[in-house]
Amino acid sequence: MIERLAYLWPEIALFIATCVVMVMGLSRTYATRKATATIAALGTFSAAVLSFLTTPDGGEIEAVSGQLYLASMVPYAKTLIGAVATLLLLTMAGTVDRAEEADIAKGVRSFDPLRSNRAEFYAFFLFSITGLMLCADADDLIWLFLALELTSLPTYIMVAMSTARNRGREAGVKYFFLGAMGAAVFLYGFALIYGAVGSTNLNEIAVAFATGGISSLGMLGVLLSILGICFKIAAVPMHFYTPDVYEGAAPQVSGFLAFVPKTAGFLSILLICGAVGWNYVIPPDGVSPLATVMPSAEGTQLPEVLRLTLWVIAALTMTVGNVLALLQTSVKRMLAYSSIAHSGYMLVGVIVGPGIAADSFSGNGVAAVLFYLLSYGVMNAGVFAVLAALERAPGRDGEPREIETISDLKGLCRSHPMLGWPMVICCLSLLGLPPLLGFFGKLPLFTAAIRAGEIPLVLVLGVNSAIAACYYLKLAFAPLTEVADDADGDPIVAAPFRTRAAAAVISAACVIGLALGGNLLMQGARSAASYTEADAIKSRVPQANAAPVDRNVAAH
Amino acid sequence: MTHGTLSLLAQTGFPASMAQATLAHYVVVSLLMFVIGLIGFLTRRNLIIMFLCTELMFQAAGIALVAFGRFHLDYTGQTFVIFVLTVAAAEASMALALIVLLFRRKESLSAEDWQELKG
Repeated sequence: MIERLAYLWPEIALFIATCVVMVMGLSRTYATRKATATIAALGTFSAAVLSFLTTPDGGEIEAVSGQLYLASMVPYAKTLIGAVATLLLLTMAGTVDRAEEADIAKGVRSFDPLRSNRAEFYAFFLFSITGLMLCADADDLIWLFLALELTSLPTYIMVAMSTARNRGREAGVKYFFLGAMGAAVFLYGFALIYGAVGSTNLNEIAVAFATGGISSLGMLGVLLSILGICFKIAAVPMHFYTPDVYEGAAPQVSGFLAFVPKTAGFLSILLICGAVGWNYVIPPDGVSPLATVMPSAEGTQLPEVLRLTLWVIAALTMTVGNVLALLQTSVKRMLAYSSIAHSGYMLVGVIVGPGIAADSFSGNGVAAVLFYLLSYGVMNAGVFAVLAALERAPGRDGEPREIETISDLKGLCRSHPMLGWPMVICCLSLLGLPPLLGFFGKLPLFTAAIRAGEIPLVLVLGVNSAIAACYYLKLAFAPLTEVADDADGDPIVAAPFRTRAAAAVISAACVIGLALGGNLLMQGARSAASYTEADAIKSRVPQANAAPVDRNVAAH
Repeated sequence: MTHGTLSLLAQTGFPASMAQATLAHYVVVSLLMFVIGLIGFLTRRNLIIMFLCTELMFQAAGIALVAFGRFHLDYTGQTFVIFVLTVAAAEASMALALIVLLFRRKESLSAEDWQELKG
């Protein structure tokens, strides 16, 4: 167990940054307070770099923890989390304490630590990212539960404190209550899984399920866990909160919610599905479990009950999300419904699983999900960064308001080209237009589902992509049109935080740039999703553990 | 129910006296608590009652964990419960903070009074 601490450098870096931020945010000196954002960005960025550099590949983690499946996704997932978190952090500038800081600058009042929210806000941001990274390397239900809670508890407060309006508070409370309910559901599921197996270790659960079959108690536990986690990914039976919460929170926090809990949920679903189906763990017969990793043809699918449940959830999630998004006029509500739909797309990859042809990217649903998380994270950060970077000039009440309807975006390419064009590019990418990143995210989902023979699901996916095109095109064309007569009075201006606009531009650049380097990233996702890093295991496992089974035969 | 089944049940000591509470008893109690919590959460509109219902669901999971731990003669279940209690305490503090925040604005604990977000 203690060896595993050595793999937690990214989390440790984030935690140190959190502690520093909590103290610095309370400083009386403005420069020190202002530096908290920089420190937080340093924390997330160094976590991304550390994940890339220090997290060993799957084989080494397996050798230490005995975790047999999905260990190789840890470095990939953590690097992607750190990178997107840095992007999201750029959009967070000036979210809290804006009026207070303005007053202090004018000398109207002096700094009061009790009224300041800055330290907490950035600390909660970093705590949430820490939890998300811990989700990626969970190998135990207790660990997974704590990581999921560490991810989501700070987000409730972030929603509530993100705006000074009542809407933000209402959204925070709504999000918290439904989140607590979802947490209770998946906790009960975990308890039932423990009851069925007698262990909370995911690897032992996988072995027990593979040898003894899945009892109805265990299956009920798995279904409840998935249902509870559906809250985190905003999938259908638990999606009702999404539009309200996204609308009530500040746009940058909505962007955070669309990526962080969703990623945590998908990583957990992958871990749980890996323990239940995709039987890559063939039980040991006196030999080391490491020797017997091999995909069996029929074991590459999930148990039928679970597969059907996920199938229905995925189809409903896509359809409900896209159809309701069509009906929206508020940008944030539309993006909230589309975020529901994107969860549905990703669930297709979960249903397919690693596939029989686990070697190729096109047949590997898990790799498709991991790659989609990256592409969705980048595009989504771009769209919400544009929304965060715009606001209505303060009217009579003196408080700037955020923009709401799609028509507010009209003429943006002309008035603010640095915000308008990123909006257009990110929307087209979310729609899945070919040369952009979103297309390369969606393509593997299609190919994997086709190769797995899930033709009805592919049809649902195709129809839904077409529906999504309607509203994404509406959103993408709004900035390109001429400036409309603004009935609402107050003109739309850029918010006085340059990093928000920078985040939008960086996202748009990534949407184009990563698409060019997409092949490399897909290779990364593929090896992240491969269970059998056979050679890595062979070279790193001590001789005592190495078993005389030809793993190359097993892997192919 | 046939005579055979009944005599079989009688042999296994069903209905058991309190001294012989089995795993099934604990699981049924925890399941009931969970369902009561869920129903309460979905039907009640008072924020504090709703929060207590989620607590009920958490503690239902706790009872199940302890019972399963005893059944498997394994301490992991009890360890898990300690963590669950900690998280539940953290959630309770957050819930009360958020509820106080709302109460100060509208002097009401009913979820119905907060319906600005709709569409």
